[in-house]
Amino acid sequence: MHSAGGGAGAAMHGAVAHHFESLEKQGQAQRLGMWLFLASEILLFTALFAAYGVYRYLYANAFSQASRGLETWLGGVNTFVLVTSSFTVAMGLDAIVKGKNRRSAALFGLSILLGCAFMVLKGIEYRHHFLHAELPGQFYGGPIAGSGGAMFFALYFLITGLHAFHVVVGMTVLGVIGARTWLGKYDAQSHVPVELAGLYWHLVDLIWIFVFPLIYLI
Amino acid sequence: MSNQSSAAARPAHSHVGRYVVVWAALMALTSLTWGLSTVHVGGFAGVALALGIATVKGALVALFFMHLWDQSGPNRLVLITALIFVALLVLLPLLDNATRFPLANPPDAETSPQRIRDAILNEAPVSPAHAPAAPR
Repeated sequence: MHSAGGGAGAAMHGAVAHHFESLEKQGQAQRLGMWLFLASEILLFTALFAAYGVYRYLYANAFSQASRGLETWLGGVNTFVLVTSSFTVAMGLDAIVKGKNRRSAALFGLSILLGCAFMVLKGIEYRHHFLHAELPGQFYGGPIAGSGGAMFFALYFLITGLHAFHVVVGMTVLGVIGARTWLGKYDAQSHVPVELAGLYWHLVDLIWIFVFPLIYLI
Repeated sequence: MSNQSSAAARPAHSHVGRYVVVWAALMALTSLTWGLSTVHVGGFAGVALALGIATVKGALVALFFMHLWDQSGPNRLVLITALIFVALLVLLPLLDNATRFPLANPPDAETSPQRIRDAILNEAPVSPAHAPAAPR
């Protein structure tokens, strides 16, 4: 048990674990593992997207009416914020590839700030919904008659809530990896964890890219 | 940007230019899809357009920010497999609901027999041939 922990720690610092031929192959295995995890995340959100598709089909008018009632500008600005944070994460990876630790950590910090901005805007939006009784299921007190409005806001809170949870997890991952980068744990040769943290954040961005048109635009 | 020092130091080539172009494209496509939504294309065309633009944006993120463009092999296969299952998971329940006997859907759904009968009755004076309860 102790040796296994030591092996993982050594891998973090660039040494090749005994069951890998080379550092390059070890990196490929780490990336593949991350992609398998990301695939499971995509399918987690897909369950909600499928529910959205079915109920949008069954309550087409109610859903478009509820969607038109949302503050589109908040969703739009949040898309700009998240896309930009993805860009700064990509630039952070580019910095560590060139061996610039401080620059990489600073760019991850900037991405966390953009993530905070996203959460603040989302909070403003949620507050608006609570004040107008635009709530899921039996708590829905909005203007749309029938089950359509309640169903829209149930899916709205499930999808944006699960996504917001992923934003918080992503900011935590960026924070931990960014701090380790600042402390010089990674360098130009060995920085797979930086890459994997970036992959997670890009996935959070990728999912929002589909949430934005589904919830706000159509 | 000081690209000179890094280019001289290491063989690792810079992706800065590529990242900037992809970021600009993502911002432009977001503005485009937002703008199109204010025009109200509506119906199936509006949904297809919005999801089409989102797919292009998603592809840009996956290929360039997530490096699937330059990392070959299994990682791409994992994503493609996931996307096939996304298509199945979204389309099959949708087809199920779209082809159900109407009574199997919730009573106040906009595809319910009550709503359909109302629609037909409203048209009755124009086309009596479609009235549901034709006297035998």
